[in-house]
Amino acid sequence: MTAALLRFELAGARRARVATIFAAGFALAGIGVALAGLSAGGVLSVQGFARTSMSLLQMVIWVVPMLALLTGAAAGSEMRDLEFVAALPVSRGGRVFSRWAALTATLGGAVALGLGAAGVVIALMAGDADGWRYLRLALVSELLLAATLAVGLWIGIAASNRTRALGIAMAAWFVLVIGMDLAVIALLSALPAKGVGAWLTAVLLANPVDSARVLGLSLFQADAIAGPMGAALRRVLGGWGAGALMLGLLGWTAVPLVLAGRTLKRG
Amino acid sequence: MIQLRGLQHAYGSHRVLDDFNLDVDGGEVVALVGPNGAGKSTVLRLATGGLAVAKGAVEIGGFDLASRPIDARRRLGYLPQKLGVSLSTVVSDLARLVAASRGVAAVEAFDALGDAGLGARLDATLGELSGGQRQRVLLVLASLGPAAALFLDEPAISLDADGSADVQAIIRRARDEGTAVLFASHHLTDVAALADRMVVLVDGCAVAQGGVAQLVAEGGLQWNGTGAPPIEAAYRAIVMRARAGGRVPLALVGARIA
Repeated sequence: MTAALLRFELAGARRARVATIFAAGFALAGIGVALAGLSAGGVLSVQGFARTSMSLLQMVIWVVPMLALLTGAAAGSEMRDLEFVAALPVSRGGRVFSRWAALTATLGGAVALGLGAAGVVIALMAGDADGWRYLRLALVSELLLAATLAVGLWIGIAASNRTRALGIAMAAWFVLVIGMDLAVIALLSALPAKGVGAWLTAVLLANPVDSARVLGLSLFQADAIAGPMGAALRRVLGGWGAGALMLGLLGWTAVPLVLAGRTLKRG
Repeated sequence: MIQLRGLQHAYGSHRVLDDFNLDVDGGEVVALVGPNGAGKSTVLRLATGGLAVAKGAVEIGGFDLASRPIDARRRLGYLPQKLGVSLSTVVSDLARLVAASRGVAAVEAFDALGDAGLGARLDATLGELSGGQRQRVLLVLASLGPAAALFLDEPAISLDADGSADVQAIIRRARDEGTAVLFASHHLTDVAALADRMVVLVDGCAVAQGGVAQLVAEGGLQWNGTGAPPIEAAYRAIVMRARAGGRVPLALVGARIA
């Protein structure tokens, strides 16, 4: 029955315009970033995969969580009203998982399609050197999308109505993308230097966006821009940093889904 | 069969249902009637899992909704008052989902929709249908396949005369197949024609129950069994008396009326 519900949710998610917007937006952004603009000589030049990936990372960090949190919150809020579907013999957890999986597959496919289209253009015009970095950037994007969609769904189910759900989702985006970084800066100035690394690592794992950011930056061995978070991570976790971050993102996917299922059951 | 025991529910601090008990046997049709806000939809939402049961118990076809929710829901069909499905849902997708949940082939669902005059709209979204067509789609799918219990919330709302006749036919067929039917309606004349028993809800309490003759007598009116029963007047009298004299809940609304 859950398989039937998953097919049903997939059909619904595919029809949603947000997937098309995602695909088109990422394709345009990828190509736009790759086209470095007119050089001093007035000739159009194209950046390779390494620089394009670095530029796109920042957009991924800001845009993917926002769209995923809002989409998830709207979808979660709607679930409370779907009483015809709620009366079917599917567990609440199954309903939440089906909706999350359908949205992740559809929006994830759209991101892959968008970045893929841009990647083809870049490869044709600038060669395929460092293409692996671009592929890993796509993987980081998908992990971040899955995690923030799960958080958005939970918010949508827990909030009393759609407007409140979207408001909380926007607040969550602000906290995850900007607020926690500000908190970390304050933490750095308040705590003694000794032992700060462990705190920073904990904060890093406690924020899926920061996890994705440092995971993305690690693709470029960009120690300088990874900042105190990245430095702390390397010091505390050594070579296991990337694995810990990926596990953290998977945790940020699984835990909100479980909580969403429980909240829907109580509602 | 449907068994509701000690159901209570509140929206915030506003209690809308107070110690509600009801049994509906297989092959019996029971109507919930009452003024707006009496708690009719709340009963149906609690019984089908749309609302979590905080106090009380629901049993469908012998399965407790709290401890065996999947088994209980596998045995029920539900037509909510509000649409209950996204407007962007394609009719055939919904039909496939419901068919899978009832263990019948999708083609059976398509045939049932075709019989209801909706065969040409299988590829349409619910948003592209008229209100009456949407209601028919959900009504047909709610009553698809074998079910121990059928819950209908204002099933004839937004339907034309043909649609109302279809609702009555679906309810009668379900009764003939041994399904317990519980529906809420404001159309008292239709209710009187269809229901074996009516339960009058006022302010979250069941204040009267019975067949047409019993409710007419309960309302202090005379009816010799011929001609149209004065059910509207009897209903108004019962509601007014309940409101004037305070709520006196029935301990158990379960006995089948002979």
